[in-house]
Amino acid sequence: MPVVLFLSVALIAACGLIYELVAGTLASYLLGDSVFQFSTVIGSYLFAMGVGSYLSRFVTRGLVARFVSIELMVGLVGGFSSAALFLAFAYTQGFQLILYAVVIAIGVLVGLEIPLLMRILKNRLEFREMVAHVLTFDYLGALAASLLFPILLVPKLGMVRSALLFGLINAGVALWSTYLFREELGGRTLLRTACVVVLATLGAGMAGAEKITQAADNNLYADEVIFARDTRYQRIVLTKWKDDVRLFLSSHLQFSSRDEYRYHEALVHPGLASLPGARRVLVLGGGDGLALREILKYPDVASITLVDLDPEMTRLFSTHPYLVTLNQHSLTNPRVHVINADAFVWLDRSSDSYDFIVVDFPDPTNYSLGKLYTTAFYRLMAKHLSAQGLAVVQSTSPLFARQSYWCIVETLKQAGLKTYPYHLYVPSFGEWGFVLAGLHPFEPPVRLPSKLRYLSTSTVPQMFQFPNDMLPVDAEPNRLNDQVLVRYYEHDWREITH
Amino acid sequence: MSSTRREFLSAALIGLSPKTDRAVAGGFIDDGHQIGHLLRDRAPFPAAKQTIKIPIVIVGGGIAGLSAAWRLEKRGFKDFVLLEMLKQGGGNARWGENEVSAYPWAAHYVPVPGKKAALVRELFEELGVLRDGVWEERYLCFSPQERLYLHGRWQEGIEPVTAATALDRAEFTRFAARMNEFRATGQFTIPMELGAKPSPLDRLSMSQWLDQERFTSPYLRWYVSYACRDDYGALAKDTSAWAGVHYFASREPDEKGPITWPEGNGWIARRLLQKLDRYVRTGAMVHRVTREGRRLRVSAGDTDYLVERVIFAAPTFLAPYLCEDAPAVRGFVYSPWLTANLTLDRLPRERDLETAWDNVIYDSPTLGYVVATHQSLRTHIDRTVWTFYWSLAEGSPAANRRMLLDKDWNFWKEAILHDLERAHPDIRQCVSRLDVLRLGHAMARPVPGFLASEERRRLTESSGNLLFANSDLSGFSIFEEAQYRAVRAADSVLLHL
Repeated sequence: MPVVLFLSVALIAACGLIYELVAGTLASYLLGDSVFQFSTVIGSYLFAMGVGSYLSRFVTRGLVARFVSIELMVGLVGGFSSAALFLAFAYTQGFQLILYAVVIAIGVLVGLEIPLLMRILKNRLEFREMVAHVLTFDYLGALAASLLFPILLVPKLGMVRSALLFGLINAGVALWSTYLFREELGGRTLLRTACVVVLATLGAGMAGAEKITQAADNNLYADEVIFARDTRYQRIVLTKWKDDVRLFLSSHLQFSSRDEYRYHEALVHPGLASLPGARRVLVLGGGDGLALREILKYPDVASITLVDLDPEMTRLFSTHPYLVTLNQHSLTNPRVHVINADAFVWLDRSSDSYDFIVVDFPDPTNYSLGKLYTTAFYRLMAKHLSAQGLAVVQSTSPLFARQSYWCIVETLKQAGLKTYPYHLYVPSFGEWGFVLAGLHPFEPPVRLPSKLRYLSTSTVPQMFQFPNDMLPVDAEPNRLNDQVLVRYYEHDWREITH
Repeated sequence: MSSTRREFLSAALIGLSPKTDRAVAGGFIDDGHQIGHLLRDRAPFPAAKQTIKIPIVIVGGGIAGLSAAWRLEKRGFKDFVLLEMLKQGGGNARWGENEVSAYPWAAHYVPVPGKKAALVRELFEELGVLRDGVWEERYLCFSPQERLYLHGRWQEGIEPVTAATALDRAEFTRFAARMNEFRATGQFTIPMELGAKPSPLDRLSMSQWLDQERFTSPYLRWYVSYACRDDYGALAKDTSAWAGVHYFASREPDEKGPITWPEGNGWIARRLLQKLDRYVRTGAMVHRVTREGRRLRVSAGDTDYLVERVIFAAPTFLAPYLCEDAPAVRGFVYSPWLTANLTLDRLPRERDLETAWDNVIYDSPTLGYVVATHQSLRTHIDRTVWTFYWSLAEGSPAANRRMLLDKDWNFWKEAILHDLERAHPDIRQCVSRLDVLRLGHAMARPVPGFLASEERRRLTESSGNLLFANSDLSGFSIFEEAQYRAVRAADSVLLHL
């Protein structure tokens, strides 16, 4: 009997520590500043435990029944604490209020546990022995929990299910106690029924844990999240709403499956179709393989090299069943060589030349990305163009970021290239701009690959016409030592959003 | 009972929270002070095993020594050696390298030279930094160049603007106007010798001059003092006003700079050392220079060189310890410095601004840090090396030199991390290694009166067969002065040979 009893002491000690760890970790994850979060969570939790210990003196009768119901309450509140906090963060403004309310509630209940249990045991064991054993198992349980939490629970189960699992343990201890102390317990059936209900509720939570996490993530994006991963370089998120799949990289929209064909046809064909002899193509960025899909429509192109920073990105777009349908398995085509490298450094070390270069980088939102839009970068790019070669550069919106767009054109000119700016309308992006650049004059193509959904030989020349509100404005070239583009870009988009 | 349980719970949590301090590896870098102090203490050196006759010996393998060698070679003279005390040449332009990046140990940039700095331009054309009048973009300091941590946040640029009042701004404008006037006089040039004339400014300290001109803005005064600490290792009150003005009035860059590389001026030193490899003898400390008839005998290690001329490119204060009948060097003051290279295997969290090349903390006794990976072409950087600069300007140079030697590595490590913690609360989780270089005589200090100094003039004009070439002859240690002094010494040697 005593060993079994002390085992339940270890279990409830572990549960108490887990809830505290869950709250502290979640607060650090979601709010940052881990020292502050952990410190305040521990503080309020311990204080609440003190309150619970004090309150235990007011429990005078029916100790075992009270103990069982407290266990059930801890199980419920603690078990669902993690899910509740996730949802509170996604759906409410009062995350911190709810955080501390949950922490204090659990603390008070946990503070009641051990004093009550000791009083239950008071008459069964010698006081000296009892205190020694209860505390020993209390600490052992805490040790086990503190080791399990970072090593096993967080990585294997995640926060939501870890809390639920320990809620189940609390409820299990409650049910077990109704058998351990059955002599001192009246109304056993009612209590046991309650235990079963709580166990069932927590079990259901366990089964639906995935949905709860998703619901929280979904609320941050408008649509349902079908894939999310933090890589070393970015956060990749795929969302789906009806037949529209969207890719976000670190919260920036990259494409919508409904209209990406417009973007990628316009990116590739005006340039590549004008170069009938093109054999070798280089794609910088574009790890989604969608530009590749368009390039692969040219049977004469013998080799395509794609350089994208993030291996997770190219792996995802080589293997995900939906995505390989979208890019028509372009990344695994034998004509394609995928290289995961930092584009500027890779280009600097390479000596190969290409007939067509597609430059499809994220917008210049910071100085690190801004390096990829400088005279230094374009000069280097020009060195890798074959004699008649052309490059096309994704150049943000000439309508929303007009000065940024014309700054990119100016930068290409300063790098010694002839430029041919053009634009189109992509519903999910708005007006979007590209620039063709080369050492020789460019003539719009007279033939295009068959079965294009957007482009035709008659509409291509129209893209090179700019309406009044997108006409060139003065802009300095963007240089490594004077990155005006990042400042223009920030200014342009601030104008739009204010 | 609950008190023990409470302790246990807290202890368990502290063990798990990610904010525990991590162990930092590192130590002192060999700065040559032990070997150098043998000279000071007149320790006995073994007799030479061989004597080599050669027309010219250059003493010192820093920028001055390397520039003298560069000049001799360019003028077709190949019969000389350069003797460097340490295993690695470069002097104040020495550098290091680890698995993350190359990094500087001291001098880390050259301002974009104006049209008058013909020698600097000549060298940079040779090294591919300047091509057909255009500066190579990847060697110009990338955006963002500088930022300042002031009032709990980072701002762009080092000139304080956060919470600046109209009065502060007006003083900055007036100060800039005054500096433009000084620039227009043509007296503040680089090299300094081309324009410098006796000036009443040299009788004042920079802070006296600020008082005299009624500059009272604390921001402006901090800014000026920062410039003095950065370039001269001295507070404004210990710097000649002429030198203080020179800092602001001498530069007319025709391009946004400065010029820099991951390893700082080590990039230049490395290339010069490669070019001049066959003349350079490292680990060769000169311990005695004696007269022998019309020649000089230069003793270094187990070899004596019997030479016509010596170009003394090592710091000039060493000359009396080495050279028989060398003139006394009493008026030269040198600032002690400390630099540290911190390897960060993860980057601290940034809230306000992206990391700049030069990052300065307002009101810190230190000079801040420079990021070695800033000149990388990569877009994604998750490990880096920071070079931390600290000119020990407060207090006397001698006392600070003693402190440099007395305190252990742990003391400096703690002082540096403590300083950085103000702007980067999580710095201790990011640093895996911290190495410290102590430079007792890092750079010459242009104290009031240095310009008019009779001693400085005599050493500058010294003829005979012992010629001085260190930048300290200009009163301050910058790349352009070292190169200019050395080239002049080389030309003079060739003229009389």
